[in-house]
Amino acid sequence: MQIIENLKVKEKLYIEKLENGLTVMIIPKKNIQKKYVIFGTNFGSIDNHFIDPKTNEEIKIPDGVAHFLEHKMFEQKSGKNSLDTLSALGVDANAYTTNDHTAYLFETTENFYEALDELMDYIQNPYFTDENVEKEKGIIGQEIKMYEDHPGWQVYLNTMKCMYKENPVRDDIAGSIESISQINKEILYTCYNTFYHPSNMALVVCGDFEPEEILKEIKSRLIEKEKQAEIKRIYPPKEEKILQKEKTVKMEVNTPLFMIGFKDNQQEKENIVKKHIAIEIILNILLGQSSELYKKLYEQGDLISTPDLDYEFSKQYAHILISGQSKNPKEIVLKVTEKIQDLKKNGINEEEFNRIKKKIYGNYVTEYNSVAEISRMFLADYFKGINSFDYLENYNLITLDYTTQILNEIFTEENMVVSIVETN
Amino acid sequence: MNHIQEQIKKSITLHIIKTEKFKTNLLAVYLTTPLQKETVTLNALIPAVLKRGSKNMKTSEEISKILEEMYGATFDCGIDKIGDNQVLKFYLESINNEFLPTQENLLQESINKLLEIVFNPLIEENKFKEEYVNSEKENLKQIIEGKIDNKAQYAFTRCIEEMYKNEPYGLYKYGYVEDIASIDSKKLYNQYNELLKTCKIDIFISGKIEENILNLIKENENIQKIEEHEAKYVVNSIKKPQQKEINTVEEKMEISQGKLVIGLDIDEETKESKYVATIYNAILGGIPTSKMFQNVREKASLAYTASSSYLKHKNNIFVRCGIEISNYEKALELIKQQIEDMKKGEFTEEDINSAKTNIIATIKSIPDEQDTEISYYFGQELSEIKMNFEEYEGNINKVTKQDIINFANKVKINTIYFLKGN
Repeated sequence: MQIIENLKVKEKLYIEKLENGLTVMIIPKKNIQKKYVIFGTNFGSIDNHFIDPKTNEEIKIPDGVAHFLEHKMFEQKSGKNSLDTLSALGVDANAYTTNDHTAYLFETTENFYEALDELMDYIQNPYFTDENVEKEKGIIGQEIKMYEDHPGWQVYLNTMKCMYKENPVRDDIAGSIESISQINKEILYTCYNTFYHPSNMALVVCGDFEPEEILKEIKSRLIEKEKQAEIKRIYPPKEEKILQKEKTVKMEVNTPLFMIGFKDNQQEKENIVKKHIAIEIILNILLGQSSELYKKLYEQGDLISTPDLDYEFSKQYAHILISGQSKNPKEIVLKVTEKIQDLKKNGINEEEFNRIKKKIYGNYVTEYNSVAEISRMFLADYFKGINSFDYLENYNLITLDYTTQILNEIFTEENMVVSIVETN
Repeated sequence: MNHIQEQIKKSITLHIIKTEKFKTNLLAVYLTTPLQKETVTLNALIPAVLKRGSKNMKTSEEISKILEEMYGATFDCGIDKIGDNQVLKFYLESINNEFLPTQENLLQESINKLLEIVFNPLIEENKFKEEYVNSEKENLKQIIEGKIDNKAQYAFTRCIEEMYKNEPYGLYKYGYVEDIASIDSKKLYNQYNELLKTCKIDIFISGKIEENILNLIKENENIQKIEEHEAKYVVNSIKKPQQKEINTVEEKMEISQGKLVIGLDIDEETKESKYVATIYNAILGGIPTSKMFQNVREKASLAYTASSSYLKHKNNIFVRCGIEISNYEKALELIKQQIEDMKKGEFTEEDINSAKTNIIATIKSIPDEQDTEISYYFGQELSEIKMNFEEYEGNINKVTKQDIINFANKVKINTIYFLKGN
């Protein structure tokens, strides 16, 4: 096992790629009762078109399959549901689907190995029938409808729709009522067999473990699978430009919601962590808690809390998102645009730059408080080709010059889109 | 025990939680006062104004800059409703000295900054700064009116309001728009002073602590100037519900999914019944093996969210689900059936065991989350029941199937609330 130590947070990562291709990551945490395990596959809502590595056949699937699979994985041949089995063990089990991966997890203070048996068993042994697939459509249908009434989710999806024309990141992770109606057990098995191969998966554990011992336990629960060639994924051609500048919809909300997006099409993988840190610094200087602009908008009554500031990326997309609620979203957009121009023209203040760097260091350290947060972070970053410790290692290397360069490259008028949810 | 409690003076309690599990120290100050229509809006405005600036840190921008220099220490404040009390909450979280790239004592500084914000406000001409009060009045109005923005939360809040009409617990924790206009900075400052003369003050410090915190707090000048007083607040205790007809409420909004919330009363007032209630709730809708999840979601495929929760400070259970609007009758019948089945004892020993294991696991993991541990001890403080994790576990394990059946027969529907489309 390779050991990577971080002296700043005083944590170690043990990492090993097993013979069958599965990557195992172990972050031991002494004195913590909770144990957390997360088993993920690099299969998310954007993976809708691929070449089956076994048959070489090109396959297109309806929207929402990754998420549908997530719901159906718990079903067992015995008629039992693994979520129930885990729950009966006193384990808090769950699963989620993102744009680029699906993950199954549990957190527990007892019965860890019994629960690990169940988790690794259900993920390695799917059981789909026409009946259990049909039944799930009603449940997922209600999940889709719940999100339809969710203004925060709508303002986000519309931002994606403005930025991307064909990239599947513009579609709801769960698909639509129409697209899920086309899903059947054959599609689920095809996707399972392709994407739930160990070579496309990773497992992270965090808690009070002896690394060698837990690795042995994990290995002993793996079933043999034939080697599989790399999965060829087909995505729409890279879109340099945004699709449309703005999208506004009306919903039953009291205060309008806004989201400003900047599409980032300058992706170079080796610099992604540094770029991410620089973007976080810029966003804080632009509209963070201590920024001049936030102060102004707050005093005007146009913002009542700091907006959410995010950089979201995978190998297929990257964008910056600024979102919040405001009585006057147009004013926010105008002022943000002006402030960016001002920063470009007059430069980033060095004192401010250094202060924000300190703040970001504190944020990174705080992420190591919870076994859940640590595990999820290492898994999500792994599928992006990142070791999470890199943020702590790189933060000090970010210079004012580099940050200014990122500001000039990405925060441009032509990359910018605006999504608004207005009151009815 | 890692939870040490010290009386700083009458009405001020210091709670120290020594733990080495975290990279951070978490500090909290809670001001607890009875919920009342006359003061609820005023009190809700106080944290908002305090966060705008203190005597020595005059603007929120200045506060933010200082906190950022402290390696991104974060300040937060809010309003909560715990039983019949309104609680003004203030937090400051900062990195433990051990994980700083330089040698500094952030804990001491954090304590001073938090106490400064809460107890040493910016005063101009014997009142709060006018500009701050006026702009926070507007913001509060927006928060109150923004109640509708989260539909599931809105439906839940509305159900509680219906159940506790004309009672303190029915009050909205942020107060009322119609009461905002008459507030000015003098009136608000008077209320702040009144609050400090009457409320219960709890200070929590959780983290890897080496310093003599007790002295640090005792000697803090902002603490010294608080007058010793008898704390007025409501000790949380169980009361028998008033017998009445089921209240059915329907409301319309522009939405695509209906939200059904059913509020249940429990005709029981013994302390032991709280443990039974926790298990009853787990079996009815608290965990994935529950009746709600299995029968309403998995079998009938009626909902994605289908659950129940036990509100221990008021001794009520709330059943909640998001459904197709046209399925209202069907879902309601099915839920009533689950409640009836509980009365008839239609659940297994296995169900009871999973419920117990889940509850105990939750209890055991409390010390793994800093804010949860603080809330746990604060909840005990307000109900005047002191119990460690082992005792709690023992009380859960004692509960038998017959206890749960007896309990189920004391559960009655109080209110059925449905939020539907136009």
